Amino acid sequence: MTKYNIWFFSSFFIALIVALPIITIFFSFFSETSNYFIVLKNTFLFDYINNSLIILISVLIITFLLGVISAYFISFYEFPLSKFFSWALILAFAIPGYIFAFSIIAFFENYGTAYSILTSLFGEYNYNPYIPKLDGTVGSIVAISFSLFPYVYVLTRSSFFFQSNNYIEVGQNLGLSEKETLFRIILPSARPAIIAGLALVAMECLSDFGTVSTFSVSTLTTGIYNSWLSFDDLNSANQISFILLIFILALLSIEIYSRKEARYHQPGRGFKPINKIKLSGKKSVLAFSFCSLVFLISFIFPVSQMIYWTLKFPKYIQDIDILKINLNTMYLVGLSSLVLVFISLFINYGSRISKSKILNYLTNFSISGYAIPGVILAVAFITLFSNLSDIINENTNLGSTKKLFIGSIFGLILAYFIRFFSLSFNGIKSSYEKINNSIDETAYLLGYSKIKTFSRIHVPYLKNNIILIIVLISLEIIKELPITMILRPFNFETFATQAYVYASQDLLEAAALPSLFLISWATILILFSSKYILSQKN
Amino acid sequence: MSKHFLEIQKGDFIASEKNKVNDVNLIIEEQGQIVSLLGPSGIGKTTILRTLAGLQKLNSGKIFLKGKLIASNKVHIEPEKRNIALSFQDNSLFPNYKVIDNINFGKKRSNGNGFSLDAKEIIEILHIEPILDKFPHQISAGEAQRVSIARSLISKPDLLLLDEPFSNIDQSLKEEIQVSVKKLLKRINLTTIIVTHDSYEAFSMADKCGIILNQELKQYDLPYNVHHEPNSVEVANFLNKGIFIDVKVVDSECAVHRLKHEELGEIRGKLSNNFPSGSKVKLLLQPEDLIHDDQSKLKLEVVDRKFRGTNFVYTLKTSKGEHLPVFVHSHHIHQHEKSEKFGIKTPIYIDHLVCF
Repeated sequence: MTKYNIWFFSSFFIALIVALPIITIFFSFFSETSNYFIVLKNTFLFDYINNSLIILISVLIITFLLGVISAYFISFYEFPLSKFFSWALILAFAIPGYIFAFSIIAFFENYGTAYSILTSLFGEYNYNPYIPKLDGTVGSIVAISFSLFPYVYVLTRSSFFFQSNNYIEVGQNLGLSEKETLFRIILPSARPAIIAGLALVAMECLSDFGTVSTFSVSTLTTGIYNSWLSFDDLNSANQISFILLIFILALLSIEIYSRKEARYHQPGRGFKPINKIKLSGKKSVLAFSFCSLVFLISFIFPVSQMIYWTLKFPKYIQDIDILKINLNTMYLVGLSSLVLVFISLFINYGSRISKSKILNYLTNFSISGYAIPGVILAVAFITLFSNLSDIINENTNLGSTKKLFIGSIFGLILAYFIRFFSLSFNGIKSSYEKINNSIDETAYLLGYSKIKTFSRIHVPYLKNNIILIIVLISLEIIKELPITMILRPFNFETFATQAYVYASQDLLEAAALPSLFLISWATILILFSSKYILSQKN
Repeated sequence: MSKHFLEIQKGDFIASEKNKVNDVNLIIEEQGQIVSLLGPSGIGKTTILRTLAGLQKLNSGKIFLKGKLIASNKVHIEPEKRNIALSFQDNSLFPNYKVIDNINFGKKRSNGNGFSLDAKEIIEILHIEPILDKFPHQISAGEAQRVSIARSLISKPDLLLLDEPFSNIDQSLKEEIQVSVKKLLKRINLTTIIVTHDSYEAFSMADKCGIILNQELKQYDLPYNVHHEPNSVEVANFLNKGIFIDVKVVDSECAVHRLKHEELGEIRGKLSNNFPSGSKVKLLLQPEDLIHDDQSKLKLEVVDRKFRGTNFVYTLKTSKGEHLPVFVHSHHIHQHEKSEKFGIKTPIYIDHLVCF
């Protein structure tokens, strides 16, 4: 029997809120098709899908190579700076694709950074025809690949790390060469982790808005954005969203399935850590060069480009109210993390003590929000609350309620909540599940009430985990672009929106300062949580 | 109302379809008694403890503690209000607190029973001093069990429930701790129920012992009686100390009853159940019942010999194919090899003739 108590209704309410965007998109898809969508269907829709798929496939190939090769070198070999690279490669997480895109444009454009470097090295000359132009689809592919490859790197590395040395020794004992060991033992057993990493990359890639829009490539996400902004057609935006969501949900299923599979590949009690082989000579140079190159391109390149611009155009330091942007970002991050962590703790605790199966299903359902791309979520959010406002307006004297949700901090926090509830809820859940149920029972038997058990046993135990979750949520919100840009209050800027607004006005050099701040904050947060990120057992 | 310290009346304890014990009637007459519940794993012993502690609801029946109804199908007193301590089999120490802090958690409710107990003494008895400043993940499973017992004792409960309390403790320390804990429980007069699947532990620790088999409390008696006079074939088989052989009751009227086995000859003793003369019955023959005698004319073939430390267990074969176990002290002057003949002292005398 399900108990209809406070835990049930709270979980139900949260599941409903998180599911609202999906429900809205679903109903919009079956509503009347606008003229714009008919035109779109006959003209650009195919291009949108085509471009999205070309970028997706290319990014998957590149991230696979970057992530797996670097993880292989770092997990199995010792070479100069290999320990440094093991954590330094995840710093690429601090660079959102759109900032990487700004850097590529700035470096390769006519009279850009590459031109300046060549001039200072070899003197004045028109080098522009000789500098390759990385723009459009190619630029997007490079930018997205280098900003997303850490997903594959982290998951593959942890899979390699937890691969017991026993397997490798057995392989060697059976006469396999180093190469055969790699292709017949190591890679097949890391396959689920690699697929899980690639599925995450694919989801993020399809969700990307900032990078493709910086390079003016028409994909499904920019299509959604343009339908809404340029043609004021929310219905079409939602119909394109529906197509994108089908892709994303398919990828989500692959990701969930692969993670489950990856767990079966975890070693049991006989786990023996891998003995790293010390490389020398050419092999050492090869491993070092590969990892250095990936690190330089993925992190040092965009950071130095942003520093270079900031120093080259100091006037923007005065023009941009960077303190206000810092405060705005901190305000959003602080408020959202508090709300997310508080509600996640509450629901996790309720789920734990009520032991209801329906409650578990509801909480599982409510974590689907993380699969929804920011653009889709924001557009669905506007659709829903505009319709709701119209209904309220027509039937009551309350007036428009649009302002409460759209263009307000409240609305923005609510959208972040939908997007990141999964991260927060699951993060706390994974730690909560480590507290054996008999521990709660022991506390009750020692005379502690449920509330006291929560405050004296659970909270101290979860403390570090809660801090970590706050760090991870902060990292996501600092980098988040489409939701913030579409739903933020007028004139309310964060690092991400300020950088994007300048870039979209062709003032890339002005975008450098907010980008640099964004990278700095993100880097600090990544360094803070690197131990956790690198210890993820799939 | 009940005048006993603890009384379970027709209790149905159900955790799942497989894990349940029905129609339990169990009485602990006085405070300070130690009772052990013995049975195979997964039979429902822990379910009984959890229900007594209030962590699970009683399906039907009644439970009285100190005369007060604490559980029935209508009444359920919450665990934190029962003053019953349960020490779990698995590690239930609070992971983020040191061992000493874990033990001190028990002090919150330490005004319950009112017996005098010093934390220092418990720590000493359970050999916990060297690990007081460690966290639970830094200690072994056996150490964690001892800390858990200490924490339960510190809470001075009315009733202490121990679930397989010594299962993870090293053999070398186990007996010493069992003796010390029993001594302590007796001194502070703390009523205790111990769940175990180890019959030696159950017999040595408890004043009374309950055998749980096939979802029922099959026997509840003194440990000596449970061992020597199991009340059913199932209990005898579970305790697994002997075998059943076919005999005929020759005389059940006199002070000393007489049975007859085709090959072993006359067996004398006291029948635990009444059978008329001439009945054909099955007699429980335990390894200690037969006595080795090299001079005896009754000789059987040795088919197996196992070294068990203080004893050898010989398995002898009758012409009918029965395999009889016999203990022989391991210091016995000589040993018998397989296929050799092995003498048995006659006439055979067994104190308790357990027949079914």
